[in-house]
Amino acid sequence: MDTETPLITVDHFAMRFGKTTVINDLSFTVRRGETFGFLGSNGSGKTTTIRALLGIYEPSGGTLYVGDGPYKVDGTIKLGYLPEERGLYKKENVISTMMYFGQLKGMSAQDAKEWSLDYLARVDLEDKAAVRLDKLSGGQQQKVQLGITIMNDPDLLILDEPTKGFDPVNRRLLMDMIEEHQKRGATVIFVTHQMEEVERLCDRVLLLKDGTARLYGTIDEVKKSFGGNNVIEIVSEHTVPKNDKLYTIKHQDGKMVTIEPKADMLAIQRSLTGAGVAYTRFELKQLSLDDIFLEIYGTESKEGIHA
Amino acid sequence: MHNLRTVIKFETVRTLKKKSFWIAALAIPVAGALIGMIIYFSNKTTSTLSQQLTQAQYSVAITDDSHIIAPKILSAIHTQTVPSKQAGIDAVKNGQLDAYFYYPQDISKGNVEVYGKEVGLFDDSRYQSLAQDLLKQSIAATTNANVRAVLQDRIAYSATTFKDGQQDKGFLKLIAPGMFLVLFYFMLVTFGNQILTSITEEKENRVIEMILTTIKPTTLLVGKLLSLTLLAFIQLVTILTPLLIGYFILKDQLSLPSLDLSSIPFDPLAITLGAIIFIISFFMYTGILMTLGAAMPTAKEASSFFGMVMLFTFGPLYAASLFISSPDSTIVQVLSYFPLTSPIPLLLRNAVGNLTLPEAGVGIALLIITTIIAIGIGVRIFKFGALEYSRRLSLSEVIKRKN
Repeated sequence: MDTETPLITVDHFAMRFGKTTVINDLSFTVRRGETFGFLGSNGSGKTTTIRALLGIYEPSGGTLYVGDGPYKVDGTIKLGYLPEERGLYKKENVISTMMYFGQLKGMSAQDAKEWSLDYLARVDLEDKAAVRLDKLSGGQQQKVQLGITIMNDPDLLILDEPTKGFDPVNRRLLMDMIEEHQKRGATVIFVTHQMEEVERLCDRVLLLKDGTARLYGTIDEVKKSFGGNNVIEIVSEHTVPKNDKLYTIKHQDGKMVTIEPKADMLAIQRSLTGAGVAYTRFELKQLSLDDIFLEIYGTESKEGIHA
Repeated sequence: MHNLRTVIKFETVRTLKKKSFWIAALAIPVAGALIGMIIYFSNKTTSTLSQQLTQAQYSVAITDDSHIIAPKILSAIHTQTVPSKQAGIDAVKNGQLDAYFYYPQDISKGNVEVYGKEVGLFDDSRYQSLAQDLLKQSIAATTNANVRAVLQDRIAYSATTFKDGQQDKGFLKLIAPGMFLVLFYFMLVTFGNQILTSITEEKENRVIEMILTTIKPTTLLVGKLLSLTLLAFIQLVTILTPLLIGYFILKDQLSLPSLDLSSIPFDPLAITLGAIIFIISFFMYTGILMTLGAAMPTAKEASSFFGMVMLFTFGPLYAASLFISSPDSTIVQVLSYFPLTSPIPLLLRNAVGNLTLPEAGVGIALLIITTIIAIGIGVRIFKFGALEYSRRLSLSEVIKRKN
């Protein structure tokens, strides 16, 4: 597979609703076969971008291509889309709903039925095939919806907050399934606020803030652009002085100061002691996406940082 | 459109699986059967009571100052004699007689007085019936058969009218083309709400985003429309079949009029026009209801506008006599061509035979254009309103809006 050719090309995309600008000149690509993390806080424009990409919204400016042109439901690229806003035909039973979507996605009735029954057995819902969807728990409905999303081996899998409503066991099951589709060569766009999952699964990420891309690249590139892989966390009653030769202060939150080291730890410790800074913690840490998020979104709570 | 068949099958099968569909479909024949049974047993009981009444032996006395009542008839029912009117009344009062009738000298001016022993609210009328029968039979006995037939309202008439030198079939000619008017009324009344529910379902269930990224909105809506049409016909057949079977089996028991199909004229042109107007009108209203459903967040909200649509549709029925008597009047012409009101006038005028071919052509063309516009707007609203889960869209917003 040609992993360098983009499957998705977003070029100078802009989106306005009336006088409100949601996206302002956004450009990025998603390569074939890669897993792409699409990150940002509430209202940052992620879902709007995905809806525009899939033709639900018409862009106010720019182009959004899936393959050679705008996404078409009857085009050659098979899509699996799990929207953030979820639901199913509540009065229908599980198997007929899955078969319906399977057939709409191009499967034969027989193939759709066999695939659905296998999937239901895998997610421990084999006894629920004939049960109406509104009789299932929220988590069980999520599993059915995920099954519908990955039916017919999609070329492009877009998962908007896929772990929402899943317990840790089912979250693991979901991650395993995503990995299976990664290995199969599917292109995955992963919208989530679970940073450990992004670090584990994604090849590249894009972080949206105020309708523009704040960070874009591989996880390493993002971390480097943010000051490298390592930081030192210092907890002190005293003010940590500036020292451009030995370190750069990245973040300060009360008694906690995060610095990016430019020299070895011993030299920094000596310098701080010499400046009269007593500390209760001095710890070298690997920079995580969580840290980067906290930095970018400032004092916003972590709960607020999601799709 | 390659998924159209899948949508039609899914929408049709899942509705056929619903109990409510069959309850609605079978309610009319079941209600018909119940009413038929009530009529049947009521007729049977009335007939039995009537026989009992005829065979019952009364003790009746009569004073006939009019001298109309035939003595032969009086002896047949064993009437008794009383010395005076007051004696007759007293005899009833004290229970010696069941009834006493007094016929005055001039029955055209004075009342025939009937006195009887109380035998229950419904049976008390039997004395008056007997007094009346005695009078009728006595008069009939004095006249010939023809006069008797007139008096007893047993004269049969046959009327023949001519139009353009050909024998005219009168009201019978309305039956075949008029059938489409009845069908239209039935389909819209029984299926209007179902259309709204079907269109808003994806939005209400939050399944719309998955659907819109899997199939085109046009495919979904046309599939729903065709499925609803199919379901409407299934429901119609479900209602009519038991009613027709019941009619042919119980026709005699229920004293129903005979249905002589051979006497009903079938004008191919009128029937074809009726069928075309009916089908396009049904699609047009389905398109309008579809637009309404797409613009509203829930079927419940959409149904409040449904009444307005029905008012436009069936309002012209109030001017039905005008459509028959004054087809050239301005109001008839306006109602016949304004698409929202035109189905009823066009169907009715076609049935009574005053809709000319050019008028039908213009009416049908306007209906087709409106149907296409309604479905086009419906698809647009469906697409733009798809993600409006809690808000209804205005028409101007839909026209102006890019997203």
